Amino acid sequence: MSAGPTPPAKPQVKALNCPGCGAALTARSLGNAVTIVCDSCHSILDAKDPNLQILQRFKVATDEARPLIPLGTRGKIRGTDYEVIGFQRRTIHVDGLPYSWHEYVLFNPYKGFRYLTEYNGHWNDVSILKALPEVHRFGTPTVSYLGETYKHFQTAQAGTSFVLGEFPWQVRVSESAVVTDYVSPPRVLSSEQTGNEVTWSMGEYITGKDIWRAFRLSGSPPDAVGVYENQPSPMGAQTKAIWVAFAGFLLLVVVMMIGFDIIANNKQVFTGSYRYDSNQRGEASFVTDEFDLTGHTSNVEVKTTTDVNNRWIYLNYALISEDTGKAWDFGREVSYYHGYDSDGSWTEGGQNDSVAVPSVPAGRYYLRVEPEGDPGYGVTYYTITVKRDVPQYSLYGLALLALLIPAVLLTWRTLSFEHLRWAESDHPPIKWGNDE
Amino acid sequence: MMRSLYLVYGAVVMAVLGVAQFQGWSLARMNEVKNVPRSIRDNPGAYRSIYSSYHHYTGGK
Repeated sequence: MSAGPTPPAKPQVKALNCPGCGAALTARSLGNAVTIVCDSCHSILDAKDPNLQILQRFKVATDEARPLIPLGTRGKIRGTDYEVIGFQRRTIHVDGLPYSWHEYVLFNPYKGFRYLTEYNGHWNDVSILKALPEVHRFGTPTVSYLGETYKHFQTAQAGTSFVLGEFPWQVRVSESAVVTDYVSPPRVLSSEQTGNEVTWSMGEYITGKDIWRAFRLSGSPPDAVGVYENQPSPMGAQTKAIWVAFAGFLLLVVVMMIGFDIIANNKQVFTGSYRYDSNQRGEASFVTDEFDLTGHTSNVEVKTTTDVNNRWIYLNYALISEDTGKAWDFGREVSYYHGYDSDGSWTEGGQNDSVAVPSVPAGRYYLRVEPEGDPGYGVTYYTITVKRDVPQYSLYGLALLALLIPAVLLTWRTLSFEHLRWAESDHPPIKWGNDE
Repeated sequence: MMRSLYLVYGAVVMAVLGVAQFQGWSLARMNEVKNVPRSIRDNPGAYRSIYSSYHHYTGGK
């Protein structure tokens, strides 16, 4: 009698329990995890071992930070559903001070693993690179990847200080790796070296709000503190666009200047030469002949040419409308001094002066002139020339200044942002003290 | 957003510049006086400029 073939063993459901404390374990990565951590007794277990061999036990502080995204939460990252299966805290020490960030392990049965990192409210969506970047070590180290250059930001020894959930590698608390970051905002390339093994990953900056939306989390994400290494500058691209716009406006100003120079009348409507004797007593004021100002409302340039030499003459002017009785009252001092001292020759002032009377309507006008000078100066000869509709170049200067101020302020803000970014790096813009 | 704002701002600046040039605006300080008596033509000394008390610079190094 033949016993016949042995029927295959019936598949059995085996519950996962921590061999350390007996607590039930939840395996979310469908056997893809290498290690799994018991949340109850904080044992790190070998997920590939049917008996879940305990690899390490670690102590947890009572105030240990819990994941902001609870394990088991599902969300959509770049159109793919992922589940949060692991969480770890890693710490580096810079100048004796600890800086910690959190890493979340995400899993999708078809896409595999992906990671999120969080530091002070700044998040990164991280994936492992499938090709090696090219490292350039001359000067400030850089790496090239897919045609983009990344500048070295920081190299530090990072230690794992807390773990929870499942991991696709042999995770241990207190294990350390040399972590080097290269940035090209909004991306960061990171290399992690443990012994001879180097793993490269790429992170892309993502806001806490986007994370909360992707995982449909309640409440609001923690506020981002400071400027993160690969945080995109909120003004970076706009600064360039505004300088391009400024260049366009500058061109327009030049075109406008040429245009107004062509259409401006710039027409001389009066000239007269006079003599003023400061020693002579009596009324010095006089009025000029009348002259016509034609065309649209425009300016009137009053130019004074004198022969002052180490002296001054002051002229009280009033441009008076014969038609309306309206007057534009103004005073002009013309002074010219020169000499020679221990610094060499010097000059101050000039013998000529011009001023534009603004927005004068067409009509018939004359000037009232009242010269003044120091008694004893004697005779001063001067000529008054009046021109209608003269281009005012100072207005172009003011317009350019008005256009320049926002561009400069934005550039300053951009530079301040970059200054804050790089102040946290191995290449701070200003090195304080003598640390090296 | 910032670029659009700047373009609007720049357009306003250019418009003001155009009006200023056409209307002959000036940065010079002027005092506008209304209804100056016609008698000034015959008696210029009857008018007193507000700048006549100006403190003169007697200059030089």
